[in-house]
Amino acid sequence: MGKAKVKLNKELLEKVKKFAQMAGYSSPEEFITHCLEREIAKLEESDSEEEIKKKLKGLGYIS
Amino acid sequence: MKPMNRREFLKRGLAATSVLAAGGNLPSLLRGSGRLATRTKVLVLGFDGLDPRLLDRWLKEGKLPAFARLISAGDFRPLRTSLPPQSPVAWSNFNTGTDPGGHGIFDFMHRDPQTYIPTFSGSLSTEAKKTLKIGNLVLPLSGGEVKNLMQGQTFWQILEEHDIPATIFKIPSNYPPVPTEQRTISGMGTPDLKGSYGISCCFTTDPDIPKGELSGGRVYEVFVIGNRVEAKLPGPTNTFKKDRPEALIDFQVFIDPNHAVAKVVLPDQEFILKEKEWSGWKKVQFGLMPTQSVSGICMFYLKEIRPHFKLYVSPINIDPAHPAQPISTPGSYAQELERVFGSFFTKGLPADTSALDNGVLDEGEFLEQDEMILREGERMFDFEFERFDSGLLFYYVSSTDQRQHMFWRLMDERHPGYDPQLASRYGNAVENIYVEADRFLDRVLQKIDKDTVLLAMSDHGFNPFRRAFNLNTWLFENGYHRLRNPWKQEAGDLFDNTDWSRTRAYGIGLNGLYLNQRGRERDGLVNAGADSENLIREIAAKLEQVVDPKTGERAILRAFVSKEVYHGSQIEHAPDIICGFNLGYRISWDSPLGKFPKNVFEDNKEKWSGDHMGAPEVIPGVLVTNRKVRADSPALYDLTATILDIFGIPKTKEMIGETIF
Repeated sequence: MGKAKVKLNKELLEKVKKFAQMAGYSSPEEFITHCLEREIAKLEESDSEEEIKKKLKGLGYIS
Repeated sequence: MKPMNRREFLKRGLAATSVLAAGGNLPSLLRGSGRLATRTKVLVLGFDGLDPRLLDRWLKEGKLPAFARLISAGDFRPLRTSLPPQSPVAWSNFNTGTDPGGHGIFDFMHRDPQTYIPTFSGSLSTEAKKTLKIGNLVLPLSGGEVKNLMQGQTFWQILEEHDIPATIFKIPSNYPPVPTEQRTISGMGTPDLKGSYGISCCFTTDPDIPKGELSGGRVYEVFVIGNRVEAKLPGPTNTFKKDRPEALIDFQVFIDPNHAVAKVVLPDQEFILKEKEWSGWKKVQFGLMPTQSVSGICMFYLKEIRPHFKLYVSPINIDPAHPAQPISTPGSYAQELERVFGSFFTKGLPADTSALDNGVLDEGEFLEQDEMILREGERMFDFEFERFDSGLLFYYVSSTDQRQHMFWRLMDERHPGYDPQLASRYGNAVENIYVEADRFLDRVLQKIDKDTVLLAMSDHGFNPFRRAFNLNTWLFENGYHRLRNPWKQEAGDLFDNTDWSRTRAYGIGLNGLYLNQRGRERDGLVNAGADSENLIREIAAKLEQVVDPKTGERAILRAFVSKEVYHGSQIEHAPDIICGFNLGYRISWDSPLGKFPKNVFEDNKEKWSGDHMGAPEVIPGVLVTNRKVRADSPALYDLTATILDIFGIPKTKEMIGETIF
């Protein structure tokens, strides 16, 4: 797996550490990875939703 | 025993005919190898949306002489439609001889219970599962596919098993065409090249026309610089590229400085258009990667040159000469038609109703396009009728449906979209399409032999769409649907403000209502069994009592409990309640995709002004035939059993209809 550094401000990093531990993640990295994956999945899903809407609108029955 | 293919059948038929000409005995000679061959002929004319009340009205006024002649020799009945009376549902009833419980098509759109997102009901496309990425390119290693989701066996597949040839011209709900060796070309449900139900383009310099995405179209701003316009024609998503951009074709338009004429220059062709002129079909080739391209066909219409440049380009249809998706059986049939007629409309519903709705085309321009659709189809019918010597021929007309959708407002003074000025010009557009259907029928009656059984039928009738009902807003106001932020009720769509943990019911599609059921929906709340059944009855009873404060009329005539009205193995996928609207009412424009407009009721001021989402008993279709009908109240699925019976074939165990003769 490739690695890259991401800068976080100190305040956010402290929160990440705190909630990662509270939520049972093995590390702050694992927590951040999970959050990013979840958000990206949402974006990917919303793209396909847009596609569905566009296609259905061509029917004429909905706006 | 392996069914005989068409060529084998025709060979045997030819041999039998030769013997017959020599004085042989027909029935015994046509029974070869235990197979039933036949000279019986059934011609089915499918006029989408033909309404029995309007037919009766114009019959009485003497405007439909061919229908009158046919009825006097045979019969006329209202034809019981499907629940709900939506075309994909109704035609699936006819195609398979079942109801939605059997064929599994309950609405134009279904939903994914795991995401609460609407899905296409008719077909499912999947992309290649295995791909290879090289730089910016993604190469498919396994083919994607498109699947027809209608369940059950169609009557033409059953005819094929009994060696009865059939040609099925654009019957709805047959995209992609179900597997068969019969000649079929797909109809309603066939997408454009972009995979949508139709996205047109308008290129304009008019600052008053809003640019961007419209419902069913796009408007692009262009500039005239030195009498020249440069633009890009958008095509399908290029799935070969990693970022999946739209494939584009650069084109230019050169405007004559002195005359209302322009030259359109595409990469491999150029043509001249006068103002208000249609180009006819033009082939366009979208490059996807160095060795791959996809071919489409479209029409250009030069709406205006000055003061504002306006160029309309129709949705890009699949090219029948090089179909990017399966649109016929055998695959070569589309190409055969293309060789005879050149390019032709392949998009399921060819008339661009969205362009009229959006003001991109006006009423006259829409009717010009519709006229092209009618004439093109008629030429193809003539071609097929000439070689129709045995078995079944089905021919479909979409314009009867589309014109009623778009022009009802101009023959109905009570309609909120009624415009007296437009009505004086186009108020007879609906009547004209009935007269056109009659003229077509007249041509058929002149050619048809007396032994051919003729069924002229429609899938549903029509009624005005004056008032819109926001089902999801009603569910919200009555506590069945909960929003996370009620003060943002009107924002967003696709239930993005819904609190599923407290929601008990939701509406998706044009007639469907679903419970948020535990074990079925992702965040299901209502227990299956008695809890669900009680809630279904409670909501259904309340829905039937909803009264429109403006008119004092009930919006929903009947709220059907799907388990009680459907038959077959697909019932588990049905909405829990099917809303059967009253005459004049329909689901709103926004509710089907999970929106919550402020008011439960709204006026419908759109050009799309006629519809057919009512309770089936108020929206019957039409059956006119040259035989006496024994059945008092025939249904669409009865016609399927009837067709099989005419050829001496018993109906299958899944079929629920009975013969009508």
